[in-house]
Amino acid sequence: MTRALNFLGLLGLALLAVLLILSLQSWAATGFTLPTEFYTFVTIFLGIFIEAAPFLLLGTLASGFVEEFIDHEAVQRFMPRNPFMGALAGGMLGFVFPVCECGVVPLTRRLFHKGMAPAAGIAFLLASPVLNPIVITSTYAAYGWGSILFWRIGLSLSIAVITGLVFAVQQQPAELLRAAPRKSIGGAGLRPALARPSNALIQRIQRSLEIAGDEFFEMGRYLIIGSLIAALLQAVLPQSMLLALGSGPLYSVLVMMALAVLLSICSTVDAFVSLAFVGTFTSGSILSFLVFGPMVDIKSTLLYLQVFKRRTVFYMILLPFLMVLLASVFINLNLAI
Amino acid sequence: MKAQTYRLIQSAILMGLGAYLLVKIFSGTLYYYINQRFLWLVALGAMVFLVLAFVAWRRLRTMQQNHQHAHHIHEYDHGHGSGASQWNLIFLAVPLLLGFLVPAKPLDSSALELRGLTTNALLGARAQTSGVQLEAPSDQRTVLDWIRAFNFASDPSIYEGETADLIGFVYHDPRLLENQFLVGRFAVSCCVADAFAIGMIVENLDAASWAGNSWVHVVGKVQVGDLDGQPIPLIVAASIKEIAIPPQPYLFP
Repeated sequence: MTRALNFLGLLGLALLAVLLILSLQSWAATGFTLPTEFYTFVTIFLGIFIEAAPFLLLGTLASGFVEEFIDHEAVQRFMPRNPFMGALAGGMLGFVFPVCECGVVPLTRRLFHKGMAPAAGIAFLLASPVLNPIVITSTYAAYGWGSILFWRIGLSLSIAVITGLVFAVQQQPAELLRAAPRKSIGGAGLRPALARPSNALIQRIQRSLEIAGDEFFEMGRYLIIGSLIAALLQAVLPQSMLLALGSGPLYSVLVMMALAVLLSICSTVDAFVSLAFVGTFTSGSILSFLVFGPMVDIKSTLLYLQVFKRRTVFYMILLPFLMVLLASVFINLNLAI
Repeated sequence: MKAQTYRLIQSAILMGLGAYLLVKIFSGTLYYYINQRFLWLVALGAMVFLVLAFVAWRRLRTMQQNHQHAHHIHEYDHGHGSGASQWNLIFLAVPLLLGFLVPAKPLDSSALELRGLTTNALLGARAQTSGVQLEAPSDQRTVLDWIRAFNFASDPSIYEGETADLIGFVYHDPRLLENQFLVGRFAVSCCVADAFAIGMIVENLDAASWAGNSWVHVVGKVQVGDLDGQPIPLIVAASIKEIAIPPQPYLFP
C-alpha cells in the first residue's frame, strides 16, 4: 500500500517536473530572456558543482568505509604518539587517502571520532589537498619538475604541520569539534536505521554507503552555498578590479590569495588555472595561490564551520594565512624562483 | 520531518542528481560546464549517485516494513536534527532545479566583459622550455593555438601571411577600431569557474554590422595586431560566416 503511494507520489512529482521544464524551456525559447548575468551565474554555479560533487562523493565514501572498516585501535596503533611525528604522519596521509579540499572534511571528522590526535588531524586536513598523488601529478603537468612544484609541496607540508602542532596543546579532538555528529539525521542518523547485528561484508558495505549518502547531504549543503557565493561574485564582480591591484611583492600575494579564496577551485586542477597568471604575477604570489587555495576557500570554509567550532576555524584560517603571506613575500623579495 | 519522508526525498534527489549528470553527458551540454578531461569523473559521480539513491530507497523500504510489523516504534526526528535535515534537502534541490529549469547556456561575451581578455602566457613550463610546436597546419589552428604561438615566438611576424581558418564569438571591444572586432573563445582548464577569455582581432569593412555574441567562422590572412601594446594576432578577413553555437564552445588547454 505505502509502496504504491510512494510510487504514485514520485511519478506525479516527475511528471510535474517534466511539464515545468518543458514550459520554461519554451518560454525561454520564445524570446523571454533573463539578464545575461543570471545565465552566467547559473553556468558558473553548475560548473563548480558538477566538478566538485564527484570529489565530495569520493570523500564521503571514504568516510563511510573508515567508519565501518577501520577501528579505533588501528588509528591509535598506526599514528605516532609524539605530536610532531603525528602531525608529520597526518600531513603525509594524503598519499593513503587522495582527496581534495571538499572530500577531506568529512574524512577528517571521521578520523577524529576514531581517535586521531588533534595535531595529526589538522595537519591531514590542511596538507592532504596538496600532498596526494593526483595533485602532485597535475602540478607537475603544469609546471614541470621545478621550483614551483617543490615549494608547493614543502610549504604546504610545513605550514600544515606547524598549524597542527599549535592545536596539539588541545588533547581532546572533541574540544575542536562542534557537538558530536547528530545521532539523528532524518530519524536514523549516522548509524543505520535499526540495529542490524549482522556483520556480513555486504551489510557493512551497505552501512558505509548509507553513511556516505547522509554525509553527502550534510556536507553538500555547504558545498552548494559556497558555490552559489563564488558564482555570484564571479558573475557580478569584474576580475580586472582585483587584478589591477596586483603588483609589487606584497600586493600581488594578497591579490592571488584573495583570488584563490574567491574562485574556490578544486586543488586537483588549480595548478592549470594559475598558469594564466604566470608572467603578470610574481612567483611568490603564484605560490601563495597554490598553497593557500587548497587550505582555505569559500566552500571549504563553510564545510569547516559545519564540523569545527568557530574558534578552531578562525585559527585554521589565520595561521595558514599569515604563514603563506610571510613565506611568499619572503620569496618575492629574496629568491628568484 | 518524518524519517520516512526524509528518506523518500533524499532518495529522489540522489536519483535526480544522477539523472541530471547522465542527461548532461548524453546531451553533450556537459562541456558547457567542465573540461572534457573530467568526463570520466562525472560519469563515476552519476553512478555513485544512483547507487546511493538505491541504498536510501532500500532503507526506506526497511523502515516501512518495520513500521508495519511493530506499530509502537514511531521514528520521528528528535532534537536539533529535524530543522537541519530539512535545510539539507532544500539546498541539495538547488542544483537540480537550476540544472533542469534554466536552459543550458555557455559563457558568452557578457562574461568576457567581467573576466577581461587574457593575452599572455597560457602554456605549461614544459611547453615553454621545449619551445612551441605548432603541429596543426595554420588553417586548422584554434584561437588558443594562435595566441600561444604569438606568446612564445620571439618575433611573431614570422606568422604574417599565413591563413587562419577558425571559429569564435563576436566581441566588440571598445579599444578596437570601427572596422574591427574580436573573435573570442573561452579556455577552460577545469570548470567554467576558471574560464579565461582569449581572442584575435578580425579586420573587415562591415565589422560593425556583426552582432556581439553571434558565433562566426572567419577565414583570412594573419598579421601582427596590437592591443594595449601587446602583440596579438589579427586576421584580415576574406570571409565571415555566421554559424550555430558549436557543441564544444570552450577550448580545453
